[in-house]
Amino acid sequence: MPADPKMKFLVVDDFSTMRRIVRNLLKELGFTNVDEAEDGAIALQKLQTGGFEFVVTDWNMPNMDGLTLLQTIRSTPNLKHLPVLMITAEAKKENIIAAAQAGASGYIVKPFTAGTLSEKLNKIFEKMGLA
Amino acid sequence: MTAANDSADLEALFDSIASDIPAAPPPPAKSVTGDSDDLQALFDSVSSDYQVAAPTAVPIEAVTDPAAAGAWPAQEAVFNRIGHMARLLHDTLRELGYDKLIEETVTALPDAKDRLAYVANLTEQAACRVLNATDVANPVVESVEVSSCALGQRWDKMFNNQLSVAEFKVLAGDTRAFLNGEVPRQMQATRAQLTEIMMAQDFQDLTGQVIKKIVTLAQNLENSLMTVLIEVVPETKRTEEVTNLMNGPVINAEGRSDVVVNQQQVDDLLESLGF
Repeated sequence: MPADPKMKFLVVDDFSTMRRIVRNLLKELGFTNVDEAEDGAIALQKLQTGGFEFVVTDWNMPNMDGLTLLQTIRSTPNLKHLPVLMITAEAKKENIIAAAQAGASGYIVKPFTAGTLSEKLNKIFEKMGLA
Repeated sequence: MTAANDSADLEALFDSIASDIPAAPPPPAKSVTGDSDDLQALFDSVSSDYQVAAPTAVPIEAVTDPAAAGAWPAQEAVFNRIGHMARLLHDTLRELGYDKLIEETVTALPDAKDRLAYVANLTEQAACRVLNATDVANPVVESVEVSSCALGQRWDKMFNNQLSVAEFKVLAGDTRAFLNGEVPRQMQATRAQLTEIMMAQDFQDLTGQVIKKIVTLAQNLENSLMTVLIEVVPETKRTEEVTNLMNGPVINAEGRSDVVVNQQQVDDLLESLGF
């Protein structure tokens, strides 16, 4: 196991189906400590309560979208170190560039496979020095 | 739309235009005595009767008739001209089928909305059914995996001569029970969940039919609206694209260079930018 299996994840997506799929995939990869939020605003509230070590977020959501969430995380002193992996249907090149410039740790386009999620997570763990 | 509304609107329009007309020719009756107002009123009532009787012939004559060279006849002409324009516009729209289009749009859009809600509902239900089925099947498969590994390890011991005869008898019995009991039972349970997953796909037939209808509706609307837009929108505006970062999934990437179509292209793009 490359990273701590007790690592706490926050999965942010406005569709419960997608949250469930990501949660199941994380479980397959050995991560069972997963919480969910249905938009960026709720995610921020949960993140502020502390304890989270990894954020997986969609882009297009009501109230607060994923890019704004990412930008807010990066500009908040106690959250800015958090790895943020974006899983989104937004596939325009300018989207990917905007996410990278805002400090995304990884970018996955939907539809995606379990293999892709595993690969990107491991890549982020490597960069964090956990692997 | 009522007739009263019509005439009120036209009146307002007419007033605004009429006020723009610079200095209407002064009424020649100025030099005459004070009964000109009465005469004017009489003239107006007569001329308006005349106009109702022969609407198409009036405007030109009203303008050119030297006997009617007062402020009112000039304004009547404008009024009439606008009336004709409105009628022409109405007829043109009807000839082009736009009035029918507008009527169809008004009735078709709520229907399309309901249909799309139905599609969203069915697909969500299907996704839930499938996720529930995998939630049930996963632990079942896992327990078979764990049991068979445990039995396998005991058989390994047997082959290494680490088991007594009594232990071997127990192992043989356990293995028999596993093969005849647990495996078939758990596989049946798994198969039931696979059937559930298969049956959850029944939405495709229903949503497919509904979506096809909406596609046809959208195509009809698009064609008609495009015709109107091409006539109305200036050339320079047509190529302008809305730039936005929330477009949702790319439905058709063919011929587009501004989107990626798979994860590899995402990775390549990020790598090329040094991320």
